[in-house]
Amino acid sequence: MPRPVAQMVTFTLNGQEVTAPENAILADAALEHGNVEIPVFCYEPKIGGPVGACRMCLVEIEGIPKLQAGCSVPVKDGMVVHTDTPRVREAQEAVLEFILVNHPLDCPVCDKGGECPLQDKSFGWGDGISRFVEPKRHFEKPLALSPLIAIDRERCILCYRCVRFSQEVSEDHQLVLQERGAHAFVATFDGHPYVAPFSGNIIELCPVGALTSQPYRFRARPWDIEQSGSICTLCPAQCNVSFTVRDDRVLRVLQRDHEGVDDGWLCDKGRFAYQAIHVDERITQPLLRDGGELRPVTWELALETAAAALGRGRGRTAALAGGAATNEEGWLLQGLLRDSLDSADIDSRAGGTLPLDLHQALGAPALQASVPDLEFAHAVLVLGTEPVDDAPVLDLRLRKGVRRHGLQLFTATSRPSALDERAVLAVRYAPGAEAAFVAALDAALTGADVAGPAAAAGADADAVRALADGLRAAGEDIVVLWGERVCSGAAGADAARGLLNVAARLGLEGRDGAGLLGVPDGANGRGLREVGVLPNAAPGLAAPDTDGRDAAGIAAALAAGELTGVYLLRTDPLVDLADTPLWERALEKATTVIAHASFLTPGIAEHATVVFPAESHAEKEGTVVHPDGRLQRLRPAIGRQGETRPEWQVLAELRRALGNDERLLTCSMVTARMLESIPFYAGLTLDTIGADGTRWTERPQGAAAPAGAAAPFDLPAPAPAASPNGRLRLGTFRSIWASPEVGASPALKFLHPRQRVELAPGDAERLGVRHGSPVTVACDGRSVTGIAHVRASAPEGSVFLETAIAADSAAELDGPLVEVRPA
Amino acid sequence: MTDILLFRDIDEPGLATIDVYERRGGYQALRTALKTDPAELIETLKGSGLRGRGGAGFPMGLKASFIPQGDMQKYVVVNADESEPGTFKDRELMQKNPHQLIEGVIIAAYAVGATKSFIYIRGEYEEQADILDAAVQEAYAKGYLGENVAGSGVELSLHVQRGAGAYICGEETGLLDSLEGRRGNPRLKPPFPANAGLFQGPTLINNVETLSALPHIVELGAETYSAIGVANSSGTKLISISGNVQRPGNYEIELGMSSRDIIYGLAGGPPEGREVKFWFPGGSSSPVLTADDLDVGYDFDSIAKAGSMLGSGAIIVVDDSQSVVDVCLKLAHFYAHESCGKCTPCREGTNWTEKMLGRVKDGTATPMDLDIMASVQQRIIGNCLCVLGDAMAMPVSSMIAKFRGEFEAHIEAARAAADRAAVGVAG
Ligand SMILES: Cc1cc2nc3c(=O)[nH]c(=O)nc-3n(C[C@H](O)[C@H](O)[C@H](O)COP(=O)(O)O)c2cc1C
Ligand code: SF4
Ligand code: SF4
Ligand code: SF4
Ligand code: FES
Repeated sequence: MPRPVAQMVTFTLNGQEVTAPENAILADAALEHGNVEIPVFCYEPKIGGPVGACRMCLVEIEGIPKLQAGCSVPVKDGMVVHTDTPRVREAQEAVLEFILVNHPLDCPVCDKGGECPLQDKSFGWGDGISRFVEPKRHFEKPLALSPLIAIDRERCILCYRCVRFSQEVSEDHQLVLQERGAHAFVATFDGHPYVAPFSGNIIELCPVGALTSQPYRFRARPWDIEQSGSICTLCPAQCNVSFTVRDDRVLRVLQRDHEGVDDGWLCDKGRFAYQAIHVDERITQPLLRDGGELRPVTWELALETAAAALGRGRGRTAALAGGAATNEEGWLLQGLLRDSLDSADIDSRAGGTLPLDLHQALGAPALQASVPDLEFAHAVLVLGTEPVDDAPVLDLRLRKGVRRHGLQLFTATSRPSALDERAVLAVRYAPGAEAAFVAALDAALTGADVAGPAAAAGADADAVRALADGLRAAGEDIVVLWGERVCSGAAGADAARGLLNVAARLGLEGRDGAGLLGVPDGANGRGLREVGVLPNAAPGLAAPDTDGRDAAGIAAALAAGELTGVYLLRTDPLVDLADTPLWERALEKATTVIAHASFLTPGIAEHATVVFPAESHAEKEGTVVHPDGRLQRLRPAIGRQGETRPEWQVLAELRRALGNDERLLTCSMVTARMLESIPFYAGLTLDTIGADGTRWTERPQGAAAPAGAAAPFDLPAPAPAASPNGRLRLGTFRSIWASPEVGASPALKFLHPRQRVELAPGDAERLGVRHGSPVTVACDGRSVTGIAHVRASAPEGSVFLETAIAADSAAELDGPLVEVRPA
Repeated sequence: MTDILLFRDIDEPGLATIDVYERRGGYQALRTALKTDPAELIETLKGSGLRGRGGAGFPMGLKASFIPQGDMQKYVVVNADESEPGTFKDRELMQKNPHQLIEGVIIAAYAVGATKSFIYIRGEYEEQADILDAAVQEAYAKGYLGENVAGSGVELSLHVQRGAGAYICGEETGLLDSLEGRRGNPRLKPPFPANAGLFQGPTLINNVETLSALPHIVELGAETYSAIGVANSSGTKLISISGNVQRPGNYEIELGMSSRDIIYGLAGGPPEGREVKFWFPGGSSSPVLTADDLDVGYDFDSIAKAGSMLGSGAIIVVDDSQSVVDVCLKLAHFYAHESCGKCTPCREGTNWTEKMLGRVKDGTATPMDLDIMASVQQRIIGNCLCVLGDAMAMPVSSMIAKFRGEFEAHIEAARAAADRAAVGVAG
């Protein structure tokens, strides 16, 4: 439902007139508009509406005999409120006294000390004496609520925040209150550890030291640390974060609430994978392959060797950029390649490029939905992406829309989605059949024949029609949240055209609150495209002088010896890209493999000739572009570890060594050059991007973006999805935990995935496969093993395997059909 | 005119069966009601002056009139959680005359346009729940429930839901949460159940006795019914009387009757040779009154004027053989045990009070603790999310205020006894 517009009203607060939006919660309005703090504990608008549990916020409202909970009263015109009368003071002292009755006050050994709302409120509103002389309640403490979170039940003030988060925000329904009265305590429903993608948020929500971070516990006091704001670039959601730093080490990651991006939540990867910054296995010095082994060398030698090798390989060198690369790095890389190395073979997309006019059209400002649109739209169609894996924090945003704003959610995916349970309708199609599915949806929206394309997509034609009808009936503000995999592969261009058709049929273009929101594979996938890290796009999505090869083409050309070198900017093709066998041959054959990397993943360990240490996201400076067009700024929170140097500098030095003598002395200079080179970024500076970022798509200068192809398009009849015939269709997914940072973080390691083979109960039974047992998945003589995961909601005839894992990745298998058998 | 309505046929053998109930004129009021326009029916309920019998005494017809018009799903919920110490009137109503309640539910549902109804009955009332289940089956079989209520075309389902034994599930919003399958905790109000109750739908929630009165109101008409009783307290009321009386039990009275007549006349007063020391006029959560208050009329306003409340209509009499400390401790224990724990003042205040009273009892308290205890009660009252906290704090407050001397004497005596025992052990 679209955002309501609030009217302003005037009320009296402690004798002073205050103007605030009508029906705003009194506690919020008093603080924001009247500069009066009404103390709260249980109230946290991020979680949802008020619950009125703690009673800390009692205030006097003239005309109402009882004191009222300031967290629960909507502001009305003419209301007269007192927060400082003796009666209110007494109530505030009373509630604090009651809260402390059973609170251990073990501040000296409590991790929250110094940044504890209970300390602050006791100081500000308590009366400083304790009349309670009875024994306090005792629990065993601390206990591990999970490997990541410690719980101290004695300190818990039973504010319900953590429980409500679990029940109403992440909807994992694991946390509950057990027992009653003063014996009540927080626990998981089944007594198992609280393991869930967003569990860490409860640490920040807890107003006392009852929930603390296991990795952070006892590492610092608030006066030992500094907070440093930046962006998490571990996935495309690009949450705004604040790094807690002590002695040049990141000790913690906190949310930095941005309504336009993350709504103040983080996933556990973003929150805990900082640990990978400070582990021994991280590469923090340049390495050179010498006698088959990678050995540490000086920067001079590494740079010289790399420059010389690149120089020799002019015209025969390609480059790939991984999602975590910044705009600056991407821009320098494409310049290095195109201008200094006479090569056009550069890519940042795993699934092949699209015709340029389709890239342009899909990214056109008039068609871009924003993150908040996900919450306030009439309907959202989640198409070919699993938010909790691909851009986790968006999963919470969609749930919020459904729960609080009557959002109608539709899911259309081949692999069952965690959001299905919240969807009005969940539609399935065969893995890889995105183009056919989109064609079917387009047909349903125009009243054309659905049966043909639906059959080709392996989808139920009635379901596709119901989806089209449902979208149309929901209202005008519709957002299609689509995953990069939709427009990937051989039929990617057809799928893109189909998607643009759908957008046109639904009238999304130019509509506020509606549009497309594409989730790229890489964290900065959108930025990298816009700065020209595509074989067929120069900076600003302009046509390059020559088109080059895309990722798959590069692999083939390397394997065939047509290319001799490859520059891997923060990507390992053996982990991140499809077709591992081909990439193995390609890297084997390449004479020069220059990589920026933090970890010795298989491709780097076996094939890199020169390795430059990559910066962690806490060390990085530069900009990235959020999937919704928001340019965001990364600021280094700590110094670069070991001998690590800025990656932009490495690229700039190589550029110079290869003959470009423009001097780029600072990262801001690179940012400025990069911004200048792109017409639709015109006028942006680091200052205008600022701490909150700027959506370029909303600026007038955004109009300079090339318009691209115009829908509607005639779509070709889609090729039918492979028919299983006893085998299973291969679908893939990348788990939220499939990242080297997770594997390298001691606290998160337990979540680092092994191959998990998801299949339907019927198929499992037919194939003699039991849930939790090892299975072999084979295709064309290659096979991987994994653990069978029988999912009731999985569609029969398909099997889903993980990619982006170091061993047994689905990328080993070609598909489209595979054989599954007990191992 | 008669002042016996709800209990009119209460001892009729087989009244719990639909045949006997119908033979005694049952379900006739329903037929009358179904011929009346719902809006008019609500006017009748308003005009009857019937006030809620569950504890808060809110005018029933007014509450029914708050249920919004429109074709959203609406509900009627019967609060049969009856867990207030001293209160056992709903039990007898359900056990002996379940159809009177069911008829009342159907009339209420018709009046507010509800098509689904529930009786939420406390878990310990197993026998009563079985009886209700059987009666509901009979009502379905006879067509009083189902898709076409008594041939009127109106639809109504009725389900008996058993609770799991928590006092807080009698608080209406805690009841609704429990009925929805959640932990039974009170909700923040507003929204009130009339607007957003069960599953967020408009919900009329009333006590068993309140709804059992409906057939009689329809039968008698608003005017006749409201003439029973006194101003602001019309109709008859079931009194559960217990404690130190000779004839404890349930009695139906006309509101306004003298309390002395109830306690002494109906219940026979304390045992021979004993005096009334104090009494709870409306369940364990009402402030205590003393022998000086025995001539107060038993109606909402008079009891309120005397400084207490009529509550659920349960009178607990305590005679001069009892220690106020014991009564107070038992009471605090109950509320500390039943506090749901959601809000701070009640959760911590009941628990703290119980602990302090424990020390009063064993002689380790001082008179200063009585001051702290009194202040803790004041800090609970009015500051909680629901009124369970007040339900302990009000009677405890009243006992400390009215019997402070006895508390102090007890502390003194208990300490002396403890000292003697200690010396005895040492020697
Ligand atoms: C702690 C607490 C317990 C309650 N228990 C009961 C109960 O067992 N039965 C009941 O009818 N009302 C109980 N009530 C009152 C209900 O909240 C509500 O006022 C009543 O169901 C309304 O019905 P009435 O208007 O017919 O009295 C309780 C209230 C509180 C605060
Ligand atoms: S653990 Fe913390 S967040 Fe959870 S209820 Fe207790 S105090 Fe609140
Ligand atoms: S959702 Fe993505 S950007 Fe946000 S914290 Fe998690 S990994 Fe980082
Ligand atoms: S007053 Fe007591 S029972 Fe009522 S909500 Fe608060 S803690 Fe729960
Ligand atoms: S903040 Fe208002 S009741 Fe907790």
